[in-house]
Amino acid sequence: MRFFRMLLAGMALCIWLLPGCDRKEPIVPESEKPVFAGTILAIGDSLTEGYGLEEADAYPALLQQRLLAEGYRYKVINAGIGGETTSGLRSRIDWAITLSPDIVIIETGANDALRAIDTALIKGNMEAVILILKERNIPVVLAGMRIYKNLGADYASAFENIYPDLAGVHGLIFMPFFLKDVAGNPGLNQQDGMHPTAEGYRIISNNIYPYVVEAINRLKKK
Amino acid sequence: MIHKSFIRHQIIRSRNQALLFVMCVVLSIIFMVALGGFSESITYSLLKDAKSLHAADIIIRSRSPFSASLKEAVVQLEQKDFVESESAYEFYSMVRDPVENRTLLSGIKVVGPKYPFYGRVELHSGKELRETLEKGSVIVEKNLLDRLDLQIGSPLQVGQATLQIKDLVQKEPDRPIRFFSLGPRVFVSSKDLSELDLIDKGSRIGYSILLKVLDSKHLNRIADGLKAVAADHERVETFRSAESRIKRFFDNFLFYIGLAGLFTLLLAGIGIQSSLTSLLKENEETIAIMKTVGAGGRFVITQYSLMVLFLGMAGTAVGIASGFFTQYALVFLLRSFLPYGFEFIFSWKAIFQGFILGIVVVMLFTFMPLLRIKDIKPYAIFRKERPAQPRLLWQALISIGILSLFAATVVWQLRDASSGLRFAAGAIGFILLIAGMIHLVLKAVKNLRVSALAPRQSLKGLFRPGNATKLILVTLTASLTVIFSIYFIERNLDESFVRSYPQDSPNVYFIDIQPNQKADFSDVLGNDTVYYPIVRARIVSLNGNPIDRKKQRMRRRDNLARMFNLTYRNYLLPDESISKGKDLFDRNRQGVPVSILDTVQEMADIAIGDTITFRIQGIPLEARVSSIRTRTKGSIQPYFYFVFPENILEKAPQTIFAALRVETESIAGLQNRIVSRFPNVSVIDMTQVISTFAGVMRKLSGTIRLFTFLSISAGFFILISSIFATRLARIREAVYFKILGAKKRFVLSVFAYENFFIGLVSAVLASGFSQAASYLISTYFFHIPYRSFLGACLLMITGAAMVVCAVGTVASVSILNKKPAIFLREQSEG
Repeated sequence: MRFFRMLLAGMALCIWLLPGCDRKEPIVPESEKPVFAGTILAIGDSLTEGYGLEEADAYPALLQQRLLAEGYRYKVINAGIGGETTSGLRSRIDWAITLSPDIVIIETGANDALRAIDTALIKGNMEAVILILKERNIPVVLAGMRIYKNLGADYASAFENIYPDLAGVHGLIFMPFFLKDVAGNPGLNQQDGMHPTAEGYRIISNNIYPYVVEAINRLKKK
Repeated sequence: MIHKSFIRHQIIRSRNQALLFVMCVVLSIIFMVALGGFSESITYSLLKDAKSLHAADIIIRSRSPFSASLKEAVVQLEQKDFVESESAYEFYSMVRDPVENRTLLSGIKVVGPKYPFYGRVELHSGKELRETLEKGSVIVEKNLLDRLDLQIGSPLQVGQATLQIKDLVQKEPDRPIRFFSLGPRVFVSSKDLSELDLIDKGSRIGYSILLKVLDSKHLNRIADGLKAVAADHERVETFRSAESRIKRFFDNFLFYIGLAGLFTLLLAGIGIQSSLTSLLKENEETIAIMKTVGAGGRFVITQYSLMVLFLGMAGTAVGIASGFFTQYALVFLLRSFLPYGFEFIFSWKAIFQGFILGIVVVMLFTFMPLLRIKDIKPYAIFRKERPAQPRLLWQALISIGILSLFAATVVWQLRDASSGLRFAAGAIGFILLIAGMIHLVLKAVKNLRVSALAPRQSLKGLFRPGNATKLILVTLTASLTVIFSIYFIERNLDESFVRSYPQDSPNVYFIDIQPNQKADFSDVLGNDTVYYPIVRARIVSLNGNPIDRKKQRMRRRDNLARMFNLTYRNYLLPDESISKGKDLFDRNRQGVPVSILDTVQEMADIAIGDTITFRIQGIPLEARVSSIRTRTKGSIQPYFYFVFPENILEKAPQTIFAALRVETESIAGLQNRIVSRFPNVSVIDMTQVISTFAGVMRKLSGTIRLFTFLSISAGFFILISSIFATRLARIREAVYFKILGAKKRFVLSVFAYENFFIGLVSAVLASGFSQAASYLISTYFFHIPYRSFLGACLLMITGAAMVVCAVGTVASVSILNKKPAIFLREQSEG
């Protein structure tokens, strides 16, 4: 019985782990190895990790491709961990910043919401993470998340409001909805109806691209 | 050419042997009929279970609203009166106590009045769901009342609707056995669905359509028709096709019953053969005289064949009649002992099959002895030696004929050619192996020197010409092997299932505990909690070869390309054992050790000493496989494929999973305490899953026990009758002993020694064979860990030796009481 695996993996946007080193061995041949101007850390849950897909098909890798193509020599590290909640993120943020990122993209919270964790706790966890990054002057791109309507209008709106609130208070670069144009479209999601396909990630990486460029510009101004 | 009086005379003269022959036929048929009825009953109640596990014959599921074409197809089926249908919606939602304004995540299930088509939703009031679940009402799990501090009659807000709690749900038939619930169940009537206002484009809903097929013949046709119109996201399942581990287990088990039944039938056949052989042996002189006075071989064979046919038919008739009653008796007797929900049904099919099998077995096993008649020469009246062996070619041809008939029967019975043939080959190989072993044992015994008179006489008795020692040893060893194996397999199955749901197994899981919360958590929960740290990782390479992710993902089952949960601990879990390797982490080897679960070997060819490179938190970790673990498959306990020593992973980012046994009534309180102190931790109540699971397992072990009882008792009867058959044949010696002046006691002790020797040798051999057989069956067929139960094994050897000794000796007592002269006179009549 794959019970235990289902317990963890099936329950939500799953799985984690944070294979920062992945992009340290780039796909491009040695001779064309780009010299990176900086590091972007994409932290998040299975939606960042690319659950069920190759890492090369998840949005961080696609984003790096797009950035390189547009002349931004940034390395994007996929630090997504499937199944991770904001509490988990808060626990590992100290470790994550040892990778000394120049920019951090935060996409988290969906796993908390699927378990209907108190929205105040979610907000508190995210704020703690943001404060640690702010302390180090790291520009943050915050990706907004929505939750299923069936959880109830009150909870869903309380949850969705966390993101613009935090972005406003802390002056973050804010992408209103991470899964814009992808969520609810069966063709762009895997069978579970939750996790995007490679095609879905192409759309996400293009959607998030301008916000990341804005973060790079902010970094340059520093 | 039928000489009725001759046949009648022969039967009366050898009435004991004739009776035994008939008895063996009767037993084999009774057993086949009872077994047939039994396995049909299992199939029947399994199907019934499967229906209630789905609450329907056909269930169509989807994560998004059903397509128009599918809905149209269902409507048409309904209009044609092929099916009845009902819709159901399942989703999570925050329900609210409108008075105190407290909320709780709950598992909502919206159903219509026809739900469920099969099985029953058990309510606290004892009423039916369809009467109770009216518009405006909800039926909830007790846990919800406890956690929100509500009572029956309180209002409850679900979505936009405020409903009234009417009753408590105690059990729902189609709650999936592997379902882990994040919140208590809330049943809502489909009449309130639109008022809830929760089903929307941005909702995550499990949609289902349940269908009851009015004529079960059309099940597959209807399901196929629906599959043809279903869109990609719509899954059509029938209660038969739905994959479940339990069902697969039962399939294996039914196959095993068929197999064990065949073995028992084989034993009955050997019983038939041995009783007929000794019957004909008694008549050898008659045959020789008949031949001397000019009777042709064909004539003699015809007469004896007719006799066997008559006896066989008598046995079959009695067998069918008793099988008929046996089935009724089983229905009646076992009803109260049967596991809940198991019904014993009466099966005409089983009776018919028993009849056919009875005839086939009689034909198969009487052929050889009858053919020997041909070789009895007239001079056999004067000489006491064995008739010359029939020519090799003939014997080979006959053997091949018998074997193919046997194989055909097996294939027919198992309904699968390759396993049937393998079984037939295995059975023959097994008999040959036993015969070979016994040959060696007898050879060794022959050279034994014993000084005491009685044991010496008994050993000599084994090798007297015309003695059926080898035959009886083979028969006994084979029967005991079958009986022992069935017993050991029962013990092993039972042990595995009992162990997979121990009374104190954890029923409450806590997920997402953060490392810095562990100490506080232990304070709240106490020391009995088991903590499982979880570190997520991918596998990069195996023995230096990168994982071919594309190829891995093509695999239909589990694959190495996915993310794995690693853990660390320095001990085995209670349901684990090491199948290869010295201990969990072989400290003598270089490098980082990792212990893998045997399931990993199904994904890739991995052995001890192989190197697996993981990537944990971006950092590669090269580990060497130090041991391979196995676990009770089918157990509901958490397990990990990869276990590391504590010091290796301790520092890696991780979350912790905990499991604890909590009394049902204190779960809600504990959930409230945990949530208020550790709001990030989700508490999952597994009690219902575990109790459903335990129910199934209890049923399973009850069924297995019943089967074991049936087959062991049949085996026992056959054993006794074959001892009788062969013992009677060599009673003449008793007479000679008496003529030579031996006291009754001496003769008895000679027989007792001899029977004890026979019993002991066959029991010891059988215990060896049965250990091997049940090891193979447990490991490769049922995939459960094997234990040898040495104590029980010794007990069974002793018991079997004593039974054989007692029955064999008792069979001789009747002769001992006769005056030698009378016996001799009886023997020379004819």
